[in-house]
Amino acid sequence: MTSTLTIEGLRVEVAGKEVLQGFDLEMHTGEVHVIMGPNGSGKSTLAHALAGHPGYKVLDGSVQIDGVELLTMSPTDRARHGLLLAMQQPMEVPGVRPIDLLVAAGVDPTNLRARMSEEAERVELRPEVLDRFVNVDLSGGERKRAEMVQFALLRPTFAVLDEIDSGLDVDALGAVARRLSLATSEWACGLLAITHFKRLLQELTPTAIHVLSGGRVVATGGPELSEVLERDGYEPFRATHS
Amino acid sequence: MKLFADSATSFIAERPDADARQLAWSAFEVAGLPTTSDEVWRYAPLKDFVLDNFEVVGEPTRRTDSSFAQQLCDRAGLVVRVVDGFCVSTGHAVEGVNVDIVESSMSLAGDSLARRYESDTFAILNGALAPATTVITVAPDTNVAEPIVVLNVSNATSSFSRTQIVLGRGASATIVEYFEGGADALVVPLSEYQVDDNASLQLITYQRLDQSAWHVARTTGFLARDARLRQAVVGIGAHYNRSRNDAEMRGAGSENELRTTFLGSGDQVHDFRTHQMHTGARSRSTLLSKGAVADRSRSVYTGLIEIEKGAKRTDARQTNHNLLLSPAAHADSVPNLDIRENDVMCAHASSVGPLDELQRWYLESRGVSREDAERLMIQGFFYEMLANLPPQLAELVERDVTSVLAAVNVVTP
Repeated sequence: MTSTLTIEGLRVEVAGKEVLQGFDLEMHTGEVHVIMGPNGSGKSTLAHALAGHPGYKVLDGSVQIDGVELLTMSPTDRARHGLLLAMQQPMEVPGVRPIDLLVAAGVDPTNLRARMSEEAERVELRPEVLDRFVNVDLSGGERKRAEMVQFALLRPTFAVLDEIDSGLDVDALGAVARRLSLATSEWACGLLAITHFKRLLQELTPTAIHVLSGGRVVATGGPELSEVLERDGYEPFRATHS
Repeated sequence: MKLFADSATSFIAERPDADARQLAWSAFEVAGLPTTSDEVWRYAPLKDFVLDNFEVVGEPTRRTDSSFAQQLCDRAGLVVRVVDGFCVSTGHAVEGVNVDIVESSMSLAGDSLARRYESDTFAILNGALAPATTVITVAPDTNVAEPIVVLNVSNATSSFSRTQIVLGRGASATIVEYFEGGADALVVPLSEYQVDDNASLQLITYQRLDQSAWHVARTTGFLARDARLRQAVVGIGAHYNRSRNDAEMRGAGSENELRTTFLGSGDQVHDFRTHQMHTGARSRSTLLSKGAVADRSRSVYTGLIEIEKGAKRTDARQTNHNLLLSPAAHADSVPNLDIRENDVMCAHASSVGPLDELQRWYLESRGVSREDAERLMIQGFFYEMLANLPPQLAELVERDVTSVLAAVNVVTP
């Protein structure tokens, strides 16, 4: 069964400034949507607001999965309704082990540690890293890959990937992108990938690319749009919004 | 009737070293009980403290171990049993390890206990009233593979246990000092650890006394050249839990790592005091104190780092974090530095506050409920402190701490 994520007129304020000024997007499970945009365009604000970060204030708008409103839900319930944010800078949570986090999040504990190791190997993460406390003493690249292990076990309906490509070398990026790509068929995961870079798209074929500028989507297109961005940068798109 | 004084004097009269004990007892009578106008006692609920609620006993009472104590013993290579301060079993023979019951009033530091601890009323009382000293000696170059457990159970209304641990040159061992029982009791343990050149001692002090106990504990480590003492102190029980943990880095290159942690609930008071004294050059101390206070409980952490002239290139670090789990709970943190040498590295940091909101959000954003997220984080506060323990002990203590935490009421702002 296909599910639909619908974001309409999303306006978000952070530190007293309206960063997202009416964001719209509709996507389905199994699809890959990519959000690109210059620094300060509102990409990370979108990711944080979707996951209910306490520092981001939603002023208006709607975020629904199959008609069920998420914005009125707690961060926990949003996740339980199938939305997961893989973070740009996954937080250290000292004293909490990844396995305990996953069990508390409702993942089936049967053979869990072994399943975690299996997923770690898929993204070229040394499995023993998962015995450390969540993200503590992990490099930037290891944290991103540890997020992918959580992603694979939590199996969200829709995943928001906030610059999952940053901090990864080319090989690791390939492994992460392949894992994500597999998820779109394995459980028809819908991916909303926020990125600065084109290289993620070499492994992960996008259904659509959306250019975010000044807090709004200013252009939407197919994979060819990334070529345009590569060649001309964001300047031509910047000019189009008021 | 003066229950405590009368029972103490008759106890002393029957001991073989009555004279030395009488000196300590007289010193106690002169000093008297502390009051909250003494700076080091200002946080203690002394108005509730009535010495005559406690009786000094001449022999150990019957004991039954808790299931936790049994599990702990199952994981030990050697179990030394102490009941009401009396060593009732020195365990079976382990190569290179001697356990002796010694009638002595001497400190490992070389002077008498009464002199060594002359400013500490309760340590003086221990000098007068501990039935004997349990001395655990590990021979030089002996690596004791399995943990040694010193099981302290209190059934009587007072318990004065005294333990001295001596690791010879190049020896290594893991030792657990565990305390349980102590309902309506005064429990005053005094421990000393001597770690000789190149030796390495890992110590776990786990205090799980009844919530009505008065626990006034003191430990001191003496570290020789390149010696290493890693100590974890976990305080859960007692109405008043006072734990003073000192280390003297006497030898060059010696190293002390101390982790102290506590969980306060009800109207408990946790009073942690540390003193790291550096006299040896290139000596290092790392102190991490973390605790959580719920309900109306209170905590105080007072830490002193002292660096003597000549202790060049010493590195001393002290960190204290306190978690407030209820608006009525309170934590104080008082770090102090006393440095008489220029060529040193010294740092301290402290914080008092509620659970970290963003860490909690991170867990929630994975689908963990707020309640579970908070529980995981509070557990984590303790798990982090146990991270260096041998896995078979860490796992056991973690499970026990988790069961205690399950009953704690968390109120977040």
